[in-house]
This record gives sequence, structure tokens and C-alpha cells, in this order.
Amino acid sequence: MKELYRDEAVVLRTYRLRESDRIVVLLTKEHGKVRAVAHGVRKTNSKFGGRLEPMSHVLVQLRRGRELDTVTQVESVDRLGPMLSSLDRTSQGMAAIEAVEQLALDREPTPQLFRSTVGVLRTIAERPSSMNVPAFYWKLLAAEGLSPMLDACVRCEESGDGVEIVAFDLDEGGVLCRNCRSGVSLSPAALSLLRAVLGGRLNEALAAPESPATHEVGLLATRAMEHHLERRLKTIALFERH
Amino acid sequence: MAGVYTPPVQTLIDELGRLPGVGPKSAQRIAFHLLKIPAADVERLASAIHEAKERVRFCERCFNVAEATLCPICSDERRDGTILCVVEESRDIVALERTGEFRGRYHVLLGCMNPLEGIGPEHLKIRELVDRLKGEPVEEIVICTNPNTEGEVTAMYLARLLTPLGLRVTRLASGLPVGGDLEYADELTLGRAFEGRRAVES
Repeated sequence: MKELYRDEAVVLRTYRLRESDRIVVLLTKEHGKVRAVAHGVRKTNSKFGGRLEPMSHVLVQLRRGRELDTVTQVESVDRLGPMLSSLDRTSQGMAAIEAVEQLALDREPTPQLFRSTVGVLRTIAERPSSMNVPAFYWKLLAAEGLSPMLDACVRCEESGDGVEIVAFDLDEGGVLCRNCRSGVSLSPAALSLLRAVLGGRLNEALAAPESPATHEVGLLATRAMEHHLERRLKTIALFERH
Repeated sequence: MAGVYTPPVQTLIDELGRLPGVGPKSAQRIAFHLLKIPAADVERLASAIHEAKERVRFCERCFNVAEATLCPICSDERRDGTILCVVEESRDIVALERTGEFRGRYHVLLGCMNPLEGIGPEHLKIRELVDRLKGEPVEEIVICTNPNTEGEVTAMYLARLLTPLGLRVTRLASGLPVGGDLEYADELTLGRAFEGRRAVES
């Protein structure tokens, strides 16, 4: 059981352990979510240094243990510096990895989730658009098989130019027309942003300037993710309050 | 596992086991050590705990541990009142004081922001810090939170909050530990050390 293995990983979370160690929760490319102990990482002369902070994208060598693996080597893949260069980037990055930690399964490889996590962190580092996290959440939900119905009213299935879409219902999993309305109201601008995110025009959505519509989509994305996870997302709640 | 030891011993083990970093086995070992050593030694430990708990409280101004309403640093008139160092815990003050480089005053946040745990500014002594600035001639705030993600989040939040007040807000530099080898430095630290390089005095 003392075998070593190497993998690419994103650090999702860290917990303090004993005097100077940490437990790191990693989303690896080939081994799913792995919990590992990084010895001495909190000391200033640690060989791991700042490579195992949350949101780091790294190459790791791990020794398999019974419950917790042990980190033996770490190399950086993407620089973490840009992520920690502004509060917007950090809060977006943390909001993204918080949802990923909840969705990832222990030791169950999810290459697509890994790829999109790396992708979102790179996007955030490059351009901290307010649509980054909402778009990421919707994409994650779509990948989980929870793509909302956006083209027609989810209840009466009416579509076309004459049908006015005015609401979004999380329980129904889609948008609703004026006659069937329930859930939260949805503005036309927010609807077109949602359609852009899920309809393959992601760059267009990410380029959208901050507006009430982006805020609306963001709020809806958080509610939808929380609805799916059945728990509150702490990072979003924290930065929404301040 | 009740009833294996007589109740007083079991209570002692349970109480010791609630201390940070002390597991059930360590608690048992410490409990039996305490039972073995002379009563006077145990008495000294008990009274030390009791007295510390009784006499030590948080300084009303900076939230450092203190014996009176103000801590020794806050009540020292020779300290520079225009520069304020913001730290996470009281023990960070000890570390900074050992450097002998800083002659200003401190403010202890009693923790740091941790978004993933839901610990926000309202759980820290940030409101108290802002209140303090109204009554004191502070010109510069040095943010000395830990150089990890939580510490950086706290620092950036504080900078966003305090800069509009017209104060100079600075952050402790990140760099290489003295006595270390360059090749073992991680990219983030080395990158920051590079960013913050300075002219060599000759």
C-alpha cells in the first residue's frame, strides 16, 4: 500500500493539522478528489512553500495511505500570483473551488470536472469578469445533467415569439411564461445571458459588462447550485454581504 | 467507554482530551503523569492555569492579551502612535516584537477571513479597528496577516476598506527566508521577492 503516484491537481481546500502540517484536499486529474497530508507546510522553510495554497494548479507526487495520502513532492503548473493579486479574483476563485469540492467524488476520476476547474481558474486570473463564476456554475450543473430548459416554457412547453418568458423556477428546472409563472422573475437581458452561457456563446457572456442582468444571472446560478448541492455556498454569501 | 476508570480520572482524561492537539491516548498519558507527580507540582500547574484565566484578558484597544484594561504596548507612551500594525493573533505580536524593527502600535484581529469556512469580517475585530482610527493619529497601517490565501484575502479586504480613509496602507513584504537556498524557493515566493527587489546599498 506504500506506492507512490504522480498526478496533476488543483488544491481545493486546506485544513490545519497539528503544529505545522496541513491536510490538503486535491482534485486530481486521474484519481478524483484526494485528501493528503502535507508535512511541515506551514513552516517558513518548507520545501512545499506556497505551492499548496487553495486554487494552486500543481503536479504532485503522493504516497498512498489508508485514508490520507501524503504529499511528497509538488511542482507548480500555473502561477498562483495573479489569483492573489486582487480581491475580485480571489473571491471568484474561491467561489469556484468551493462548488467543485462539493461536486467532486472521493477517488473517482472526473477528468471533465478537472479540466473545467483549471479552465475557470485560468479565466479568472486573466480577466476577473463578474460572469466567470455564474457561467462556471451553470456549466457545472449542465455537466451534472441539470441543464435548465431555456427555449420554451418548462410547464406549457409553448415557445416562439408570442410567448413572453418572465420567470425561472428551480424546482421545475427551467423558464416559465407569463401564464405559468412561478419561482423568481427573470428579465429578458438575463435570459439572453443565460442562453449565451449554455448555448455555446460563452465568450460573449463573459465579455458582458457588469449590469443588473449579470447580477441576476449570478444570483440565480448560486441558488441553482445550492439547490443542487442542498447546502449554502459560504464564499458567495460572504462576498455578497460586503 | 464510560466506567473503565473511576469517575475523577475519567473526567480528567475527558477534559484534557478537549485541548487542541491532544487525542484520547495523549490525554490518558498526561492524566496518569499528573497522578504520579507530587501534589505540589500539580498544584502549581492548576494555579498557573487558574491565575492566567483569571487575570489575563484582551486589551480594550488592540485586543492583545493583557493584564490590565490596556496591554503593555498600548500603555507605553514611547511607542509611535502614527503607525499601526494589524496582525491575526497575539502570538504574531511576539514574533514581530522579537525583530526589534517596529516601534508603533498593534491591532489584533483575533483570526483571519476564511471564505471557505464562512468566516467574514464581522467575525473579526475589523469594526473595532475602524472605530480606533477615528480617535487616534494613525497615518500608516501595516497589514501583517499570514502570507497564505486567508491572510491575503484579509489583507486585500482591509486595503479596500482603509485606503479610501486617506491612510497609507502597506503590506508586509514576501520574500526568501534568510539562510535558505534559492533553488528550493517556490515560484510564488521567488516571484514576489523579485517583484519587491531593491537597490543594494553600497
